[in-house]
Amino acid sequence: MSELIPIFLDASSYILILVLVALGLMIVFGMMGVINMAHGELFMIGAYVMVLTQDMGLPFLVGIVLAPLVVAFFGLLIETALIRHIYHRPLDTILATWGLSIALKQLVVLLFGPESHSVPLPVDGSLDVGTFSYPVYRLILMLTSILLIGGTFWLFLRTKFGLMARAVIARPATAAALGIDTRRMYRWSFVIGTALAGLAGALVAPIISVDPQMGLGYLVPGFLSILVGGAGPLAGVLAGGAVIGGVNNLLAVWISPVAALITVYVIAILIIRLKPEGLLGGRRAK
Amino acid sequence: MLELRNLSSGYGDALVLRDFSCRFENGRVTALMGRNGMGKTTLLKTIMGLIKAKSGSVRFDGQALETWPTHLIARAGIGYVPQGREIFEDFSVTENLQLGLLGQDPVGALPFSQIYDWFPLLKERADQRAGTFSGGQQQILAIARALVGGPKMLLLDEPTEGIQPSIVHDIGLQLAKIAKETGLGILIVEQNVEMVRTLADQVLFMENGEIRESCDIEAVKQDDTLLHRYLSV
Amino acid sequence: MRNSLIGLLVFIALAVTPLFVGQYWTGQLTTYLVYGLLAISLSLVWGYGGILCFGQAMFFGIGGYIMAVFTKGMIYPDLTSSYLGLLAAMAGAAMFALALGYFLFAGRGISGAYLAIITLAIALVLERLMNNWYALGGYNGLLNVPPLKLIAFGYSYELWDRLPTFYIILGIVAVVYFGVSFLVKTPYGLLLTAIRTHPDRLSSLGYSVLNLRLSVFSLSAAIAGLAGALFATLDGFVSPTLIGFTLSTEALIWVAIGGKEMLLAAFLGAIFTRTAESWLSEIFGDYWILILGVVFMISVVLLPRGLLATPIEMLTGKRKRK
Repeated sequence: MSELIPIFLDASSYILILVLVALGLMIVFGMMGVINMAHGELFMIGAYVMVLTQDMGLPFLVGIVLAPLVVAFFGLLIETALIRHIYHRPLDTILATWGLSIALKQLVVLLFGPESHSVPLPVDGSLDVGTFSYPVYRLILMLTSILLIGGTFWLFLRTKFGLMARAVIARPATAAALGIDTRRMYRWSFVIGTALAGLAGALVAPIISVDPQMGLGYLVPGFLSILVGGAGPLAGVLAGGAVIGGVNNLLAVWISPVAALITVYVIAILIIRLKPEGLLGGRRAK
Repeated sequence: MLELRNLSSGYGDALVLRDFSCRFENGRVTALMGRNGMGKTTLLKTIMGLIKAKSGSVRFDGQALETWPTHLIARAGIGYVPQGREIFEDFSVTENLQLGLLGQDPVGALPFSQIYDWFPLLKERADQRAGTFSGGQQQILAIARALVGGPKMLLLDEPTEGIQPSIVHDIGLQLAKIAKETGLGILIVEQNVEMVRTLADQVLFMENGEIRESCDIEAVKQDDTLLHRYLSV
Repeated sequence: MRNSLIGLLVFIALAVTPLFVGQYWTGQLTTYLVYGLLAISLSLVWGYGGILCFGQAMFFGIGGYIMAVFTKGMIYPDLTSSYLGLLAAMAGAAMFALALGYFLFAGRGISGAYLAIITLAIALVLERLMNNWYALGGYNGLLNVPPLKLIAFGYSYELWDRLPTFYIILGIVAVVYFGVSFLVKTPYGLLLTAIRTHPDRLSSLGYSVLNLRLSVFSLSAAIAGLAGALFATLDGFVSPTLIGFTLSTEALIWVAIGGKEMLLAAFLGAIFTRTAESWLSEIFGDYWILILGVVFMISVVLLPRGLLATPIEMLTGKRKRK
């Protein structure tokens, strides 16, 4: 039994990070209908900000604060220079952000080289209870992720900003006719989504290898989580992330990483095909 | 005062409105009547900036609005109740009202108590999900949502469509009272003669994107040949 | 009419190119022609059929693997005919597309952004699968795929030399290009335009949207499969990278930069991008990919009809295809 707990904890921490990445994607997709293929690269930039601050010998917390700010700034730039010009052409946003993703990836290769970097764990040691032992940082990571996910839900479900955001999602023209600046809502939702990706990147940097290709490994599962869970209610991401992340992680331990990945994708594709509105249902499903 | 000059607008290459000119005074209720497809909804949407005008001008209290984005037009003091009501079904009644307030300058906004005075139903059902309302109740909510921001001019697009007659009459009386009390100008697009008789001071008849006839409500009440000609009732 | 004239001119220009460039570039250009064929297949399914496929390379890869398996005699030692291999590659890719298409489009089918994500995921799955399919070489792929062997009138000729290979490939590509160009001008092409723009209306007119989608999806897959099979004979080598994600998205970039709604522009998009890549990556080194990404982005935003399609349309005087 006690050897199962770390496996489940590993799966949970993967799910939480996946949800964090997918939340940003979902906010952008749900609000603007924009598929941001460069979201994985924003996640990657967050991790590289952490690499950079660690190389400079700054405290870990500085990286945690800087990463979302830097990435949010990128997000603001991307929204202003790119997204706002094409958000009425949803399929073109896929292509344009794909071009962006290539460019950002290559930019990182040019700046940091193609090799992978590692970030030292900010908190050494592990929590030992009897025979059970688990790294402390991973526990902190999980707790932080839960707080961030909760915070995002609170922002969108309990605040005035969130009310306006949901109104813009439901009926953009009517929201505008009530005086709500939809462009501004789009912009700040996009920025919030990117900041979440950046923060997620910085948080996981110590437990994964940071390299220019790392974005894709989260982008596709992130999208599949949204589609599996349902692009309507925010909670869909939780369900989708749990299915995608959970199955992937558990099968990777029990069978093999390759079989896990293939199985997860096949399950996801089947669910999306058979239940296009997602597990929890969604209005935007087509 | 809302003044339209030589306004042309439409969808794609097709013009629905051609050189439309008209003035709507504050404090007066103007009804715009005409058969379907004559450009009434297009007119309201163009005023709100939901459809961009191809040419011509929209002036409101001296400001030229035709190039403004929709939310600024709303903030300039034009309230809009769209066709089909478009309330936020998943939100509570209070949340719907709040949305009428959040985008607006708080200075001109009306207190909720004022809205509740006019429409007590909304206070009783404050926490109810708006989607559970009947058509008439949803219409009241949509009107209240547009009023709460404190507009000087209210545009209503077919408010009686699909609503039981008893509520139509109540809404008409209430709106007439609000217009009288607050000096609110109302432009109502309507096919329901009962509503127009209850509410309007002036009636415009529209055909093929142009105004064909303009007359006082008393004239319509006494003689319904115009109604027959433009509405085929 | 003027459109096919320009197409003809392009192919004549391609045909005389080996007179002006050396052996190396002739060889490179042969490969680019095959990529151009892949671009044509993607343009057909995406620009004409309205199906944004993020995994077009899967058909290319399937074609390549089938060709390799056949001509290496892995199915049956004596059955190594190139013709048979090409046919099997096209049929195999088309059949896979038919099955996949039925799964994707039947009933409340998937479309738009969802389709893009799902085809991307399927390409990733296939790539992983091939990486671990050891009978087919796994990660290393299959080596020593023989070149095309032409057998006619009792003569047999293996295409080892660059120049004959170039002209044979050019001939095949030209036939496909003009064939598809002709096809999209027939009533069938008109129906494709209709499913792209108004699928609901078409079904109320009694056409089966599903069958149309399946037909264009399979046809495009057959062309991509043909391209993959030709590629295998040129390179003498197939590997999981042919089937997966990277080539799929590369093809998407060629077609988007060229112009998805014009076969010629998509075709030239592949050739120009690859040629530019060979030249510019020497000059700019690692900056080339950065430049490509930025150019791609800019062309999508500013010239959604394509970087090449816009000037070609101006040449042909055709402003808009409805």
